[in-house]
Amino acid sequence: MSQVWVDSWTVFLREVMRYRRDRAYWVGQLAFPLVAVAFIGFGLNDVVRLPTGADYLGHLATGMLALIVGSSGVGGGMTLIQDRESGFLRVLLVAPVSRAAIVAGKVLARVLASLMLVGILVGILAVFTPVAAPHPLAALVAVVGITVVFVALGIALGTALRSAESYRLIAAFVTVPLYFLSGIFYPVSTLPAATRLLSWANPLTYGVDLLRYGLLGVNEVPVGLSVALLVVLTGACAAAAVAVLDRGTRD
Amino acid sequence: MDHAPPSQFAIEVAGLQKRYGEQVALAGLDLRVEAGTFFGLLGPNGAGKTTTVSILTTLARPGAGSVRVSGFDVAWEREKVRRTLGVVFQEPSLDRELTAREHLDLQARFYRLPERRRRVGEALERVGLAGEADRPVRGFSGGMRRRLEIARGVLHRPRILFLDEPTLGLDVASRAAVWDHLRTLHAAGGTTIFLTTHSMEEAETLCGRVAIIDAGRRIVEGTPARLVEDLGGDVVLLSLDPRDGSAGGSADPGEAPDAALAAARSVEGVRDVSRHGSGLRVTVREGTRRLPALLDALRPFCVVDVELRRPDLEHVFLHHTGHPFEPEQLA
Ligand SMILES: Nc1ncnc2c1ncn2[C@@H]1O[C@H](COP(=O)(O)OP(=O)(O)OP(=O)(O)O)[C@@H](O)[C@H]1O
Ligand SMILES: [Mg+2]
Repeated sequence: MSQVWVDSWTVFLREVMRYRRDRAYWVGQLAFPLVAVAFIGFGLNDVVRLPTGADYLGHLATGMLALIVGSSGVGGGMTLIQDRESGFLRVLLVAPVSRAAIVAGKVLARVLASLMLVGILVGILAVFTPVAAPHPLAALVAVVGITVVFVALGIALGTALRSAESYRLIAAFVTVPLYFLSGIFYPVSTLPAATRLLSWANPLTYGVDLLRYGLLGVNEVPVGLSVALLVVLTGACAAAAVAVLDRGTRD
Repeated sequence: MDHAPPSQFAIEVAGLQKRYGEQVALAGLDLRVEAGTFFGLLGPNGAGKTTTVSILTTLARPGAGSVRVSGFDVAWEREKVRRTLGVVFQEPSLDRELTAREHLDLQARFYRLPERRRRVGEALERVGLAGEADRPVRGFSGGMRRRLEIARGVLHRPRILFLDEPTLGLDVASRAAVWDHLRTLHAAGGTTIFLTTHSMEEAETLCGRVAIIDAGRRIVEGTPARLVEDLGGDVVLLSLDPRDGSAGGSADPGEAPDAALAAARSVEGVRDVSRHGSGLRVTVREGTRRLPALLDALRPFCVVDVELRRPDLEHVFLHHTGHPFEPEQLA
C-alpha cells in the first residue's frame, strides 16, 4: 500500500513539474472568474433578487469558483491525451507503477491546483464580494470532491478518446449541461419544476451547494447529504478511472 | 524486488500470435533468449518487431501463445515483469515540457534508486547532456532526445533492456557512441539486451545472437557468424574475357565455357559454380585464402576482373525468404 503512495507521489511530482510552467493556464484560470464576477455580477446584482435574500454577487462568485474547479479537473483528464500524444504514457505504463498510482498521482496534482486557485481567488473575491470562508472544511471537501470526480471522469474519457479535439468536444458536451444544471448561475430552487428534477439528479449540484455553504454559509441541501454523496461519488469515479485506464491502455 | 523463478531464459516466446483487426502482426512466433545475451531481432518494416516488443513489455496483450519474460508470464504477472524492464521505444516517449534531468529523476524515483542525484548526474554526463540538463526537451534535437531516452532506459540497470530501433535517425557519430554505450553496459554483465533493428550492420556489430523475422514469423536464428557461414562461404564473381573462346565447349559464344566451370570446381573449398554474365559465380569457403588457387586454375580462361563478396546478414535474409531485405535498394 505504501508503495502505491510513493508511486503516486512520483506521478504527482511529474504533473506538477508539467503544469507549474504553464503561465498562460494560471493566468486564464485566475482571470476568468474575476472578469465574470466583475462584469456580470455587478451588473446583475441589483437586478436579481434571490429567494434566500442573499446577495447575487456572492452566489455568482462561488458558482464561478466551482466552474474553475471543474475545469481544473477536466484539464487533469486532458493530460492523458497529452501523454498519449507525446508518447510519455508508454513510459508510465511500462514503469513498475500500478494503474491506481497513475490515477491517484494525476488526481492529487489537480487537487493541489484546484486548492491553490480557489485559495487565491477567495482571497481576492473576499475583498469586493460577500465570499468568505465561514466553513473552510466544507469548502475543502467540496473542492476536493469536485476535482476528483472531474479528473477521474476525464481520465476515463481521455483513455477512450485518441485526440485532443474529440476530448475537448465531448468534455464540453458533457460538462456544460452539468454546469448549467448545478445552480452555478441561479439557485436550483428558482428553476422550473422539470429542470429542477434534472438538477437534483446532477451530482455537481451537491458539490456546488457544499462549496457555497463553505464560502457563504448558504445552502439548499443538507450538508451531511452533500458530503456523503460526494464521498461515494469520488470513490466510485476513481475506481472506474483505474479500471478504464487498465483496460484501455492495452492493445 | 521480486525474484524471478530461476530460468536460464530471460525471454521465452512460444507460438505467439497477434492480430490487429484483419491485419496479422505475428503469425506464431517462437523465440528463446538466454539470460545475458545481446539479442537482435531483425526484420524489414512491418515484420512485427515493435509488436513483439510491445507484448514482451506488457503494453499489448498476446493474442495466442505463451510469453514469459524474466520468468514471469506477461499476461498474468505484468507488474513483476515490469520491475525487470528497461525500455527504449521506437516512437518518441519524452514529455516536451520536462527537462532532461526531470525525466531521469522521475525514472530514478519509479525504480527506487538510491543516490538519485548522483546517478542522474552521471547518466546525463555519459550521454553528453550534462550541459542541457535543465532545458525542457522541447528544444532538443532528435539525436539529443534519443540519447536521453537511452539514458533513461538504462538508468536503473534493468535485468532486461529492450531497445526498439534505438539508432534510427542518429548520425554516424551518435550511433557509434550509442553502440559503445550498449557494449559497455552489456560487458558489465547482468543485463540481457533485446534489440530490434532493420540495420544488418547494427545486428552484426552488436549482437551475439540474432533472429530474423519476416511477416510475423521467425525465419532463422543463430549467431551472425554462423548464419553467414551457413550460406556456404564467400562469393567470388569472375569476369572472363568474352573474346577468348579458345578452351571451347560453350553453347553460346560470349558465355563462360564448360571447361572453366570444371576448372573452378576442382579448386579446394569451392562449393558451387554457376555462370554469371560472361563470367562465373563461385561460392567458396574462406574466399580470401582460396582466391589465388582459383585464379591459378582459371588462368587459361583469361580472368579480367575479380570481385569478392563476403556475405552478410542481408544475404542470409535473401537466402531464407527469397526476397531482398530492402526491395528498393536491391532491385
Ligand atoms: N496498433 C496497430 N493497429 C493496426 N495494425 C498494427 C498496429 N500495430 C502494428 N500493426 C500492424 O502489424 C504489423 C507489424 O507491425 P510492427 O509495427 O510490429 O512492425 P515493425 O517490424 O516494428 O516495423 P518497423 O520496422 O516499420 O518499425 C504491420 O503490418 C502493422 O501494420
Ligand atoms: Mg517497429
